[in-house]
Amino acid sequence: MNKWTEAIILMIMCFMLGAAIVIQVNTVNNNGTTNSSNQEESNLKSQVLKMKEKYENQYEELEKISKELEETRQQATSNNSELEELESKIKEDNLILGNTDVTGTGVKITLTDGKEASQLDTESLLVHAENVLAVVNELKNAGAEAIAINGNRVVSTTAISCDGNVIIVNGEKISSPIEITAIGLSEQLATLNRAGGTLEYFTGLGKIVDFKKSQNIQIPKYTGVYSFRYANTK
Amino acid sequence: MEKKEKIIMTVTIGIMCFLLVMIIFMQFKVVQESEKTDINTLQATELRQELANWKTKYEEAKEKYDETAETLKTYKEESSAESKTKQTLEEELEKLEKALGRTDVEGEGVIITLSEKKQSDLKEDEEIVSINAEDLITIVNSLKDSGAEAISINDERIVNSTDIVDVGDTIKINSKHLRTNEYQIKAIGNGSYLESSIFGKGGYSETLDSSGIKAEIQKSNRVQISKYNGEFETNYIEEAK
Repeated sequence: MNKWTEAIILMIMCFMLGAAIVIQVNTVNNNGTTNSSNQEESNLKSQVLKMKEKYENQYEELEKISKELEETRQQATSNNSELEELESKIKEDNLILGNTDVTGTGVKITLTDGKEASQLDTESLLVHAENVLAVVNELKNAGAEAIAINGNRVVSTTAISCDGNVIIVNGEKISSPIEITAIGLSEQLATLNRAGGTLEYFTGLGKIVDFKKSQNIQIPKYTGVYSFRYANTK
Repeated sequence: MEKKEKIIMTVTIGIMCFLLVMIIFMQFKVVQESEKTDINTLQATELRQELANWKTKYEEAKEKYDETAETLKTYKEESSAESKTKQTLEEELEKLEKALGRTDVEGEGVIITLSEKKQSDLKEDEEIVSINAEDLITIVNSLKDSGAEAISINDERIVNSTDIVDVGDTIKINSKHLRTNEYQIKAIGNGSYLESSIFGKGGYSETLDSSGIKAEIQKSNRVQISKYNGEFETNYIEEAK
């Protein structure tokens, strides 16, 4: 009787040991895949960094040659009023397109995620892409001539979208606090801050809003490129 | 002897319990590891996306560089011949005007029509809601996000300075007031990308549909978008020195 019990217990033990070994092997296998995907990841990371550097170098070169072009163009068109007129038109277009750094009077609006866990749900405390989009639209309505979001120039092709908790502007990831700068007539741009306006509405939702008028707003140029692959001039 | 057997039995059971606990720990570890692996693959996807983004940016910058170098060469070579200089200036200007939206353009793209549903088409829990500025802003933004190169709403070209706001029962785009319950949004770009940005799963067309607005899309290889006829104001911006 006792021997039978012992034998059964031994059998169970062997089974357990076997199972433990199998699991162990599994764990090792899993570790193996984790390592290889870690490797893949670091490989990708270095590729990303390399490509980023490649872009930055190329962009630097582009800046240099653009400056040279501007100077050469100016030289080539001096002493001829017709050509000078075309040259100044090019300058004007570049100014409107956002291809130059600009300064002027304007406003600076900072939107920050609210922290208070009040009666409001946390979603309304956060600064969302559509909030930023609404502010940009209103600034345009108030006659803003140049707008930037965390230093990213808003141009005609700029989309403001979200990806999880981050906001994407011109392909660049940004997150709270979001600083929106605009150049225009400050008194008119200040309509956003009026009682019952969008900014007051945001404050009511629990977001943190800061509004400042300024005599000297600086907005950097658009760092992207306008390229047309589908649209042809008729 | 009996006592000894009992001790052996107890020890055996003790070892078994120990083994069981070990197995459980291992199990936990396995679960954790596999979760980690999931996160890793997610990061890999993100990294790949980022890599693609930088590559596109690089290629665009490279293309622009080559173009600029070409233009520069012409100015340098032909600095004596004014007619050639003039031609180069005009070519440069043409590209800028196109980017500004001051030219009529044509190409592959989509035409989206928004209309308010008729009373008879409404489901039980729906009511007639009019199309507002926010709907149009959202759609325009999604189209830009999926690479639209030119957009217009009821032939009003969307440019850098375009605002879309509700004013009474009209929607003001640029400086034109539209009083209608049907909007036609045209966009030029990759037709499939543009379509999926609005009509893909979870896209804005679903939101519109549930609020009683009918959205239809038509893909075309020859979408025509007319130019912006308004002015661009530059009273307050000044080029930084």
